[in-house]
Amino acid sequence: MIKTLYTCLFVFFCLFSSAFAQQKFTISGTVRDAATGETLIGATIKIQGAARSFGTSSNAYGFYSLSGTSAEYNLVVSYTGYQPFTKKISLTAATKLNIELGTDKAALQEVVITSSSRKNENISSPQMGLDKLDMKSLDNLPVLFGEKDVLKTIQLLPGVKSGGEGNTGFFVRGGAADQNLILLDEATVYNSSHLLGFFSTFNGDAIKDVSLYKGGMPAQYGGRLSSVLDVKMQDGNNKEFGVEGGIGLIASRIKVEGPIVKDRGSFMISARRTYIDLLLKASSDSSLNSNTLNFYDINAKANYKFDDKNTLFVSGYFGQDNIGIKDLFANDWGNTTATVRLNHVFNDKLFSNTSFIFNKYHYAIELLDADNNARVTSLIRDFNLKEDLQYYSNKHVIRFGVQATHHRIAPSDITTSGNSSFNPLAVENRYGLELAGYLSDEWKLTDKLNILYGVRLSSFSLLGPGTFNTYDSEAEVASSSTSGSGKFVKTYIYPEPRFSASYSLNEENAVKASYNRNTQNIHILTNANTGSPTDQYVMSSNNIKPELADQVAVGYFRNSKDNSFEISGEIYYKWLQNQIDYRDGAELTANANVESELLYGTGRAYGLELYAKKTKGKLTGWISYTLSKTERKFDGINHGSYFPARQDRTHDLSLVGIYNFSPRWTFSANYIYSTGNAVTYPAGKYNVGGLTTYYYTDRNANRMPYTARLDVSATLKAKETKKYQSSWSFGLYNALNRKNPYSIQFRDKKNDPTQTEAVQTSLFGIIPSVTYNFKF
Amino acid sequence: MLKYKYILYSVFSIGTLLSFASCEKVIDVKLNTSASQVVIEGAITDQAGQQTITISESVPYTSSNEYPPVTGAQVLVTDDNNHSWTFTETKPGTYTFASLKAEAGHKYTMKVVARNTTYSATSTMPSLVKMDSLSIKIITFGGDDIKTVETHFKDPADQVNQYRWVLKVNGVQIKTVYADNDRLTNGNEVTNTLFYDDDDNEKLKTGDVAEVEMQCIDKGVFTYWFTLSQQTQNGPGGGVTPGNPPSNIDNGALGYFSVHTTEKKLITIN
Repeated sequence: MIKTLYTCLFVFFCLFSSAFAQQKFTISGTVRDAATGETLIGATIKIQGAARSFGTSSNAYGFYSLSGTSAEYNLVVSYTGYQPFTKKISLTAATKLNIELGTDKAALQEVVITSSSRKNENISSPQMGLDKLDMKSLDNLPVLFGEKDVLKTIQLLPGVKSGGEGNTGFFVRGGAADQNLILLDEATVYNSSHLLGFFSTFNGDAIKDVSLYKGGMPAQYGGRLSSVLDVKMQDGNNKEFGVEGGIGLIASRIKVEGPIVKDRGSFMISARRTYIDLLLKASSDSSLNSNTLNFYDINAKANYKFDDKNTLFVSGYFGQDNIGIKDLFANDWGNTTATVRLNHVFNDKLFSNTSFIFNKYHYAIELLDADNNARVTSLIRDFNLKEDLQYYSNKHVIRFGVQATHHRIAPSDITTSGNSSFNPLAVENRYGLELAGYLSDEWKLTDKLNILYGVRLSSFSLLGPGTFNTYDSEAEVASSSTSGSGKFVKTYIYPEPRFSASYSLNEENAVKASYNRNTQNIHILTNANTGSPTDQYVMSSNNIKPELADQVAVGYFRNSKDNSFEISGEIYYKWLQNQIDYRDGAELTANANVESELLYGTGRAYGLELYAKKTKGKLTGWISYTLSKTERKFDGINHGSYFPARQDRTHDLSLVGIYNFSPRWTFSANYIYSTGNAVTYPAGKYNVGGLTTYYYTDRNANRMPYTARLDVSATLKAKETKKYQSSWSFGLYNALNRKNPYSIQFRDKKNDPTQTEAVQTSLFGIIPSVTYNFKF
Repeated sequence: MLKYKYILYSVFSIGTLLSFASCEKVIDVKLNTSASQVVIEGAITDQAGQQTITISESVPYTSSNEYPPVTGAQVLVTDDNNHSWTFTETKPGTYTFASLKAEAGHKYTMKVVARNTTYSATSTMPSLVKMDSLSIKIITFGGDDIKTVETHFKDPADQVNQYRWVLKVNGVQIKTVYADNDRLTNGNEVTNTLFYDDDDNEKLKTGDVAEVEMQCIDKGVFTYWFTLSQQTQNGPGGGVTPGNPPSNIDNGALGYFSVHTTEKKLITIN
């Protein structure tokens, strides 16, 4: 293992040696928005010389670095929606150049949606399986209750399947909902949903950048099998104070931002709260107005630039859901994250970021009946230290770093009082340590061939203290051992190779290929469809092996008409190992021996994703289509042969259109169609215990009816004054009022008990919404 | 019960958001049809008297709920004390023994030969845990008073116990499976609430007479009923993937062989 790593390092440095043969100088700096001072992620920086032209893009903190031989150059910096910046430079010494781009007024007249901020990034970059969401286009898309939502919008992309009607849970390329790594300013968000999944934890106002990696994950990411959703918060305006917000039917939000010290530091605070329960309170029904049903969240961030070399960022998120019925039941859950980061520019080629991250997810359920009272609490908490270094040389961007995460899971604590039926119980805490080191190189081999290759070496250790059991085939304890505090109980080490390559056939066409391996050591146990706030988290252990996924993908990418059309097709195949399912009658809650309830198997997923996008003009939008198959295989389920996973949907189609009718009116619509979920219908019936009981043959061999939905919205910008901008958004969710299937149940007919019937439940019919947004 | 209550209450609370929007309709579904399967339902209780084992067949989903009896089978029950009882067919598919009482702590084996296949199963009689009383609990929700029956009993601290309840209202069985163990309630005065869904059943109202049968069952039988009960719970986002509950009978027969205690109490809803 170590030897492989050294070999890699050696190869890397051999590759560089050629770069040092000539005298070169470096130009470096930060790219920002001229109006707000927000750093621009992924801006294109090109230097054009008489002999050669080359370029790079700004990193997650807006930093860029380019090296060239001593000569006269023309520097061009561009970013979608901004006026390009050009400057003649003579590179005769190391140059520091911070660039501010002004927004392009002409471009603002039209809606620009693009997967990349660089004009033809999807052709030139070796990265595949990456989708970037443009936060501006999010404002115009129709969504349930008019609440714009990052997680619902990514479900309109190829290869991403919705967790269900109105649900923020999502499945990427056949992965399960818990196989997505969801990061908010680098902190893991374990539960990204509010209100049992109808809203996501991401408040669109506070979000600057959203990238979804479906494949070809770069080596700096690890820990989940299927995808990485990297969400970055806004830094806040460092030039002037501003307030913006929105008032919607069921939630309102407000954001305040401004400079701490002009041009040196800024802050941003954004908050949101629903008021469904305030509406309930207005109800005259005494049993309804005492119910609780709300959530709120707060995003806050501040940054301060000490000097050109050092910038500090502090950001945090706090969100909580509360549901409850007076005197009967209370349930709350929420995430807390805090990230402290220090950017340090060692020299004009070496950029470093050090992060210290805390994140926690917790829930509490309280049953309040006198004779059945119990309070169940559970949490998962991480401390995370990351050091990430980026080295920019002529043809290479080398990225390397180390990461350490300490996990604590408190599975269930039950406390009771008085004459409760329940006993107090504390299921032992579990501790784990994840260590990872990575090294990757994005290398422009030739003008046409770019590769991104690297390796991530990840280890997971289950730590004491605790009692660790093994189980026999009957799920009974076979052996038991105890380990002291800090003792390593079990360690798994895996190298995860990552490789992507792109070959540009010409300016407009490219083919790409990628392979990546991912491992996962934090698993969610759920037997509900897309997860509930009270799902159990478990770590890899002496019983649970790390989940493994290997994915290969190939794709063709084409841009045309000056990059105003982007077309792509990708094919992927994914092998999954050590997947988890449950024994019959598994008890997952408050069970110290929950690992005895698990079954292990394999999976495979493959598919074709087609994507066509129009990024410029009055009418913009995209069509995405996915043809896919997702299967799982477990001993003891379905006679040990492959069966469709619940999220297996053969066809998945999304059409999104945004029409910029006039400077004031924008109309948009989206249409989705997807094959029904794989479900298990009865093949026969019989009677036991006086009840009609169903006989099942093959697991998930049937299909729910298909889902189709049209949503429309219109946005009206009010007359702008210099100080105050506002807009109205009107939406219709499920405009055709189609009854889409949510669940199907079988039961005896009420008026004829000798017959059975299938009953489909649909959740949302047509739902209108209106939202008022303002900014000053 | 803990998980069940959680699901139930969260459906109640989130239901306020969804109820105005959701709707139900009966749909046609295309189903596979399988060959009919042998279904054995064997119950031996601690009450001296006639014990019954029924053998029937499953039918395709689209048929009516009438299950053809399997006649001419040989049915034998033995215990771990060299006793044996040969059951006789008193009605097509119904095999009985006139007087038999199962004793706590003893293991019973059922052997059925039907259609040239031998099916066998074992079950152990648990010791009796007495039901103390029944009561009615009223939950007020959404303007409705929801009345439910509660059972009260003292769980013994020194043993692992599993229970099943059968609820009948005015003589009609409620279509819900109730099974629980003492994993979280060992040694306590336990109140168990027998909720049910009024989609499928009539709501409890004043004047109704509810009958509760409480059974103490062994672990294998508990897993059978508990698996069935999980499949009928439908939390937000759907329930457990349905499957055939793990039978304690071998050779692929559906059903179960349960040796259990039985005790019944009545309560009138006021």
